[in-house]
Order: sequence, then structure tokens, then C-alpha cells
Amino acid sequence: MRHHLILRIITKLLIAPILLFALYVQVHGEISPGGGFQAGVIAAAAIILYGLVFGLEAAERAVPPSFVHGIMVSGVLIYAGTGVYSMAVGGQFLDYDQLDPHYPVHGQHLGIVLVELGVLFTVSATMILIFYAFAGRPTPIGEKDW
Amino acid sequence: MIGTAADIASWLFIVSGSAGIVISALGLLRLPDFYTRLHAGGVTDTFGAELLIIGLAIQSGVSLITAKLLIIGLFLFFTGPTATHATANAAWVAGLKPRLAERPDERPDGDNP
Amino acid sequence: MSPWLDFVLFSILAATAVGVVILRNLFAVVMLGAVFSLVTAALFVVMDAPDVAFTEAAVGAGITTVLLLGALTLTTRHERPGSSGIAIPLAVSLITGAVLVYGSLDLPRFGSPDAPIHLHLAPEFLVGREPEIDIPNIVTAILASYRGFDTLGEVIVVFTAGIGVLLLIGRHHVGRRNRVEDAADDKGEAPDSPAQSPPEST
Repeated sequence: MRHHLILRIITKLLIAPILLFALYVQVHGEISPGGGFQAGVIAAAAIILYGLVFGLEAAERAVPPSFVHGIMVSGVLIYAGTGVYSMAVGGQFLDYDQLDPHYPVHGQHLGIVLVELGVLFTVSATMILIFYAFAGRPTPIGEKDW
Repeated sequence: MIGTAADIASWLFIVSGSAGIVISALGLLRLPDFYTRLHAGGVTDTFGAELLIIGLAIQSGVSLITAKLLIIGLFLFFTGPTATHATANAAWVAGLKPRLAERPDERPDGDNP
Repeated sequence: MSPWLDFVLFSILAATAVGVVILRNLFAVVMLGAVFSLVTAALFVVMDAPDVAFTEAAVGAGITTVLLLGALTLTTRHERPGSSGIAIPLAVSLITGAVLVYGSLDLPRFGSPDAPIHLHLAPEFLVGREPEIDIPNIVTAILASYRGFDTLGEVIVVFTAGIGVLLLIGRHHVGRRNRVEDAADDKGEAPDSPAQSPPEST
């Protein structure tokens, strides 16, 4: 533990700003370069940083794998659900104008926000999941052989 | 739009930041030992990039861009030395010892704390 | 200034790619892969595509490096030398590259305004964005609204990658790691053949 003291302190300071930055990129996807993919990767990077510095058990206590599975699935569901809903209301698949029949521009905004949310969920959850899967396997080779 | 003094100041910062990065790259190539190369490599993150960011912040006046640049500068200020420390710590724990000068009269065992 | 910048960046890219192919130490190869992604992100910025540069820097230089390092702990650190000769792969690569370069001679100049791709749909998107969607970022407008179905396909591809990793590597439980190591120590197995270690099934 003494070896990693500085790393742990700095990581504790930095994880919240990284997550905040991911939220900023997600919400500002319509105004500046950004959007769901970038925000998802940055959010996953924050959790992976926590897992790298504090250990996999601590990361899995903070963000359990079952929660990550649920987030990954709900991302695709939100995205496809927007399309199916607009089809059920009367338009075509992924026709955002139907989300707000009186003001189509508001419907477009709402559709884009929902869709980017789905992208954020799926991308961040997949990255965290792949990290958990790789880091969770026991190493078949010893420390000295590496 | 921006005064000549601000232009000269930002030019000074950007040039010195770039010179710092070039010197650090030179040191990375030429220094003999891992720990000395780590000294040189850490200069890029904290000295070169910070001066560049300050120069760019002066160039863009008082605006949102300056605020974003200063936040990035603060982030680099924290993570640059941490990365250098993490690398040195990993090398030390793995067993790599720095190459010290041989002084048979002062250090009989050649060990270091 | 801009051709020189492109030239320098592309030559760094080529040198890094040559290094990735030639080097045998896999740790250095992973680091060179991160350098490759970062230089590609710089190239995208030079080409005025900040969205793509953002994604490339975050994914390529960040997450991919960590995941490759994680995969590297499961295998050896040095690549085993290849057994077959280099004559046939070299010939195939050279012929394919020559055919591609010959085909690219017919393309319009990079970024010219009267190329066919800029004449049909792009003006429609650029003009129609204001009354229909009205958000400042044209890239998000095209990605999420005009070509939303393609983005749905991308999300499903990422989801499928996650499902594939789940199926292949399996859902592990944290306690299993210690139990597997204890079992290996009890049986006295020596970690000598990492390539033949049995996959952990659920």
C-alpha cells in the first residue's frame, strides 16, 4: 500500500472531474464536438482508472458487473425503443418528428438526446465489461517469467 | 485585437514551451540511465505543456477558451508528475536500480536508501 | 505550412507502423500502437475533424492500450518468430498496394468542392439542418438524426462485441480468482505453457 500512496490520492482527486467531463461532453454533443461515443469512452476510462489503482475487487464493489450488464442492455433498448415508439405513433422507424407532433424541431431535439443517451450507456458499459473480463482472469504465467 | 504586449508575452511562452519539449526529447535520447531519462521525460508534461497552455491562454484573451485551457493546464499539472512517479515506482518495485557513480571510498556497499 | 505538417505526421505514422511490425517485444508494440493512435488523432485534427479525433484519441490511445496491456498479462512478452518465409506475403502486399494506388489516381482531389459526394446529399443536409433540426453541431445532426439508423447499427456492433467477450471469456466472480490460484498451487502446476492454458468457462 505504501508504494501506491501518491497514485491513490491523485486518483481520488481526479475521478470526479473525469466523470464530470464525460457528462459535459455528452450534454454538449449538440453544440461542440462530442456526443455519446466520446462521453461513453471517457466515463469508462474513469471507472477503469479506479480499477487499475485500487484493485479489481474495489472497482467491482463500486460498479457491480450485473449493473454494467443492465446498463449495456438498456442502452440498446433506449435507442431501438425510440425508433419503435415513433413507428408506433404513426411515423417511420427513428422518425423523431413524431416524438412531439406540435413542434417537430423539439421532437428532433428530444430524439437526439435520447439516442445519444443510449449510445453513452452501451459504449461505457461495454468498455467497463471488457476490462472486467480481461482483468479478472488469473494470470497463467508467474511474475518472474513475464 | 490583442495588444502587442500580450502578443509578445504569448509568443515568449509558446517558444519557451516548445524549446522545453525539444530539450526533453533530446534528453530522452541521450541520457544514459532509465531514471535520468525519466527526469527528462517528465519535463515535457509539466514544463513544456504548461508553458504552451499559458501562452495559448494569453493569446485567446478573456473567454471561455481560456477557462477551458486553464482547466486542462490544471489537470496536466496534477497528472504529469503523478505519471512520472508511477513509472519510477514501478521500475523500483520491479528491481531496476539506478546506476550510481562508483565511489569506493564513500559507499562501500553501493546500496542506496 | 499545412503540407509540411501533413508530411511530418504521415512519416511519423509510417515509422510507427514499421516499428509495430518489426519489433518482437510485445510491450513495446502496445506502446507504439498508442503512439499510432495519437498521431492519427493529430492528423484528424489537421483535417478539421475534431469529433473523430476526440473519439480516436480516447479509444485508441486510452482504452485500447489498457485492454491490450491487460491481454498481455495473459500471454508472453515476446513474440515467437514466424516460421514461413516473407516472399509470398510481401508480393501480395505490394501488388494490393499498387492496385490501390492505381485506383486512387482516378479519385477527385482531396476536399475539392465539385466532387460528386459533395454535390448530392451534403448540401441538402447543410441547408436542411436549420429548419428541421436546428442544432449547431452538424456532425451530431447527421449522426443522430439524418443517419440515425447507421448509428443504431454501430451501437448494436458495440453491444455484440460486449456479448462476444462475455461468451468467450465468461462472467467471472472475484472469489474464483483466488480459488483457481490455490488449486493450481495445490496441484503443483508450473506456468510453462501459457498458450495452452484452458479457457475459463462459466
